[in-house]
Amino acid sequence: MNKYEIGFIVSPEANEEEYKRIVESVVSTINKGGGKVEQLDEWGLKKLAFPITKFNDGFYVFVTVEMNGKSVGVVEKRLRQIEKIIRFISFRLDDKLEKANKLTKKWKKQDQLLNKAREARMESETTDENGDEEDEHAAQ
Amino acid sequence: MQHSKPQTHDKPQKKYYSSKKKFCHYCKERITLVDFKNGKILSHFISETGKILPGRVTGTCAYHQKQLSKAIKRARHMALIRYIENRK
Repeated sequence: MNKYEIGFIVSPEANEEEYKRIVESVVSTINKGGGKVEQLDEWGLKKLAFPITKFNDGFYVFVTVEMNGKSVGVVEKRLRQIEKIIRFISFRLDDKLEKANKLTKKWKKQDQLLNKAREARMESETTDENGDEEDEHAAQ
Repeated sequence: MQHSKPQTHDKPQKKYYSSKKKFCHYCKERITLVDFKNGKILSHFISETGKILPGRVTGTCAYHQKQLSKAIKRARHMALIRYIENRK
């Protein structure tokens, strides 16, 4: 089981009912392939950066899924079959997790060191102020 | 002159320094994986004509630049960013 992200744009010609039906059908195909929907982002009607097949806007939907690699192909096939979907994308999400975890560990260490240095600086500043006061007292 | 260097070049080479130090945006914000859905941030790493800017210009590290170039291509495919910006 791997993590995948699937996104698609539904054409603005679709009604609310049609749009809901399309989303439901995609989710059902995911569930049939033994996948789990983790997150379902629906952006609603949004303007496209450039016209696709003479449409200037579309309904954006993004889904993060946990499922087998083989069943991703089935979902892609289903996305291609639906005519009201203008464009879709699907790719793996968790293939860079090892390096990402390493980076987070590295950053944690760096942050700890930075915080320590900051605290030390703060302490030294406060002690310096006290030292100055003492000097002043001595001068008086 | 005490510290005179031996002249190797015929023409004296000028050195240019940028006033600001560059930094990797994703390293500073502590983001490990670049998200292709955020078109606003991705547009910072694109030239006026819509090309992907190299890491040495924007200051992004190699690890993030690799992901960024892919994220920009994905965002273009999903019509979040234009392929070519308007030319004059």
